[in-house]
Amino acid sequence: MVTKTEETQLNRLENQVDNGGGGAWEYLCLVKKLKVRRPDKVLRHGLSILNDPKKRSALGPDGRLEGILLEAKGLWAEAEKAYSSLLEDNPLDPVLHKRRVAIAKAQGNFPTAIEWLNKFMADHDAWRELAEIYVSLQMYKQAAFCYEELILSQPTVPLYHLAYADVLYTLGGVENILLAKKYYASAIDLTGGKNTKALFGICLCSSAIAQLTKGRNKEDKESPELQSLAAAALEKDYKQRAPAKLLLLTSALKSLKTS
Amino acid sequence: MGELKYELSQNAYIKLVLHARKHKTAAVNGVLLGRVSPQNDAVVEIADSVPLFHSHLGLLPNLEISLIMIEEHYSAQGLGIVGYFHANERFDDLELDSIAKNIGNHICRYFPQCAVLLLDNKKLEALPKGKDRSPVMQVSAVFVCIELSNYGVSVSFLAIKRFWL
Repeated sequence: MVTKTEETQLNRLENQVDNGGGGAWEYLCLVKKLKVRRPDKVLRHGLSILNDPKKRSALGPDGRLEGILLEAKGLWAEAEKAYSSLLEDNPLDPVLHKRRVAIAKAQGNFPTAIEWLNKFMADHDAWRELAEIYVSLQMYKQAAFCYEELILSQPTVPLYHLAYADVLYTLGGVENILLAKKYYASAIDLTGGKNTKALFGICLCSSAIAQLTKGRNKEDKESPELQSLAAAALEKDYKQRAPAKLLLLTSALKSLKTS
Repeated sequence: MGELKYELSQNAYIKLVLHARKHKTAAVNGVLLGRVSPQNDAVVEIADSVPLFHSHLGLLPNLEISLIMIEEHYSAQGLGIVGYFHANERFDDLELDSIAKNIGNHICRYFPQCAVLLLDNKKLEALPKGKDRSPVMQVSAVFVCIELSNYGVSVSFLAIKRFWL
């Protein structure tokens, strides 16, 4: 939130800079700090700083700012060129890689984004982004692979278990759904039984498995207790948080069990 | 095949627009609920809508659970799922992607006059500044003519596509 003093300071600086006085740098810093949206002014003054060679050297050895400004203007090609040239000097810089991928994504160029993300695999955010892109393109097997990598590197984050289970369920097939059930269970384990999505996931998995194995001989390895436990936990949760919807929940769960 | 009209109620429309505006940087979707008008077989009344997701639209479990619960809830009011709403992540993207098509097709199986609404982001941006109230619309499928009743806001930003099975 912007306080009164900060706002007056911002306005004063804005007037000063607009009228050709100095202080553009302070203005930009303040805008960034307050996260105020003033894209045209930032662009104008930012570019004026960058174009002034004296001040540019004071900015620092890399031209990341220039790349970001080009991006904000929408000049994707130039921004991409800037980042690529910077990347030649610093091939391991995660920020630059991410900006390049963001450009590709913003242009709708998913194959390029995927290719670039695949080159740069050292970062959790990168894996997550890649998994999301795959899901949106319905390439679930590849998305599952990304989530597996994430779980390997950070096994105690329930979010990844949950997302992996979701993708497995979407892929379908008895083995995948069995595996998904295990990962929903581990997500519940990691969150102490409070994750509603995981609880629902277990109910869905159990009913899907029951449907898929209807014809075969039932080797009841997975006990039905898990589903009833999950259902009971959901009902308790709803009673506490949304008692009006409890009836809805019970009828939905019933239809899952019987379908 | 005849002509079909869709009546989109203000409630349904506002909910979807607000949902899209709230999650400006993500793709969002939702379901449309309604019924065939009891007076006229060729009119589908879209009485309400339920915004669904703003992330991971392509994942099945959430969709299944939400559809089950939505159907249960609205069947008590005599309404069924009659359509699907989608807004793309990118500003200039006016294509209906495969996820939306799959969901639309699936709904069509149960309700043949299913409608799929795609939000035109450019017109959504212009909405707060626009002052004209005449419904200017892009209709991009044959057999569909949209009649909108009871509106306080310009509806110029809906592009409507419809799927037959």
